[in-house]
Amino acid sequence: MVSLVREAPMDTCVSGQQAQRRAYVTLVLISLFCLAPFFWVLLAAFDPKASQFLRLPDSLTLAHFHNLLTNESGVRWIMNSVVIIGSATVLTLIFAGLGGYALSRTQAWWKRPLLYAIILVRIVPPPALIVPVYKVMLTLNGWMHGFITGLTDDAALQTTLLRMFSFVDGYLGLILIYTALQLPLAIWIMKTFFDAIPKDYEEAAALDGASQWQTLRYVLIPLALPGFAAAGLFAFINAWGDFLMPLMFTSSPELQTLPLGMFRAFLRVDAIDYGFLTALAVIYTLPAVIAFAFARRFLTQTFSGGVKG
Amino acid sequence: MKPKTFEARRQFGYRLMMTPALVLMAAFIVFPALYAFSLSLTDDALLGFAAQESSFVGLRNFERLFTDPLFWNSLKVTLIFVIGSAVIGQFVLGFLSALTLQQPVKYKAIFNAIICLPNAVPEMVVGFLWISMFASGEYGTLNRLVAWFGVEPQQWLYTFPLLSIIIVNTWRGIAFAMILLTSGLSSIPKDLYEAARVDGATDRQIFWRITLPMMMPTIFLYMFISTVTTFAIFGLVYTLSRGGPANSTEILGIYIYNQSFTAFQLGYGAAVAVVSLVVSMLLGILYVRALKVEV
Repeated sequence: MVSLVREAPMDTCVSGQQAQRRAYVTLVLISLFCLAPFFWVLLAAFDPKASQFLRLPDSLTLAHFHNLLTNESGVRWIMNSVVIIGSATVLTLIFAGLGGYALSRTQAWWKRPLLYAIILVRIVPPPALIVPVYKVMLTLNGWMHGFITGLTDDAALQTTLLRMFSFVDGYLGLILIYTALQLPLAIWIMKTFFDAIPKDYEEAAALDGASQWQTLRYVLIPLALPGFAAAGLFAFINAWGDFLMPLMFTSSPELQTLPLGMFRAFLRVDAIDYGFLTALAVIYTLPAVIAFAFARRFLTQTFSGGVKG
Repeated sequence: MKPKTFEARRQFGYRLMMTPALVLMAAFIVFPALYAFSLSLTDDALLGFAAQESSFVGLRNFERLFTDPLFWNSLKVTLIFVIGSAVIGQFVLGFLSALTLQQPVKYKAIFNAIICLPNAVPEMVVGFLWISMFASGEYGTLNRLVAWFGVEPQQWLYTFPLLSIIIVNTWRGIAFAMILLTSGLSSIPKDLYEAARVDGATDRQIFWRITLPMMMPTIFLYMFISTVTTFAIFGLVYTLSRGGPANSTEILGIYIYNQSFTAFQLGYGAAVAVVSLVVSMLLGILYVRALKVEV
């Protein structure tokens, strides 16, 4: 992980060992607080007798992971999450790339109001949207069902299509809402990165006879790659960790993503399989931690949504 | 109708590129946010007669809202949650971490990584991990820890529900505060410190007279972002407590969810959502005006 911390401004005046010791004590205490909840999940995931309580395993096993990856529902939850969040991230990147570029280059009167509006859109709390979005999704879902049932009489094909393109209890609805929710931040990030690419590059490419598409493909996209990385990582992390949207829009067990599957398995109070759930928690957390490790270096540039404080 | 000049065509192209993003944000965020206002004036419901044919009821939902003790309770819980975790917990520990990591200590990268770890954990897993931490009985992790200090085993999520969720959210957000405040600290010119040292200032004086005043813009930015994001939290608390026991952790997001999808009163839920939208938009407008955001 890349450290952002610059060399200390105070190293000219270390007030001796005591300050040093105090610094270590502070850091160790905060680190223990941060690490404490992880010990249980990391031990229980490899413990044949996993329970709700922290304990040192007598022996280690990979059975829980094996069970999870051969168990039909475990694999399905992982696949559902990967498909939905993956698609949403790709869509976010495409739309934010286009939008961010346009917002960076245009001089139109709507540029400034639009950028402010996007900040406001970004801070709309998702829980405040659930009722109206639910109504919107139901309406769209009705149209989509009418369309699909009109399209084919084949029952099996209908089921597959409905699963993929339904707004409620289907992939498409979640993909689109995640894309919409991640777009404001992603657009700001992309706009900021495109701002840093001088217009001369495009003009030079155009003078050399490059087409618009070639300019985009060979000049702009390569230069904006860090921007795409930042926007994509944040979109992925936010959507991957979200719990509210699947809770709202998924009911069939076959369509559950990781958080909802985990939540429902955890609700069966009498039959909680802690080995299965801790292994699942480890697998669910890993991609987010890896993505965060890469995203870390972009964090300061982008938190305010490109807003310079 | 195709625009003719080169410049006009280019402007047209920019608008075209904006379109997909704008359509999605309009359809799933802006329109629903406005739609919440009109829904809040109806008796719409998930089940029963009103689900078929909802009717206009004027401000009745708001009248009920402002006399509903559960709504006021939810506002109070939200306020305590935001102040306790974002304004105090995350800020104090994050600032402490940032300041300490500015000092010449070893293993900076490792401490940094450890403090960042909770921030990457998905909401559902956060709830799952902390339910084990807070588990009651003498084998619960936290109970075993406090037993060293002679404290009896507690039922943390029942006896101290609000404090518990504040601790969990503090845990999750230290990294965010630390990273933002570190970037603020590193932009303070070093000559200021050197000049102060030459003049014989103590560490404490330097902190209160130089570091803190110079950090004010960053602290303001942090307070804004963390307040807005904490105000929008749902999953973290829902997976831990679902708003209980007895509404003691029912932050605004959970109150909206419970009223709309557990009590099936969509119109009333929309009225609560309107309050939440108005609060966050006011915060947002204040922020944009105060910072004079550079575009």
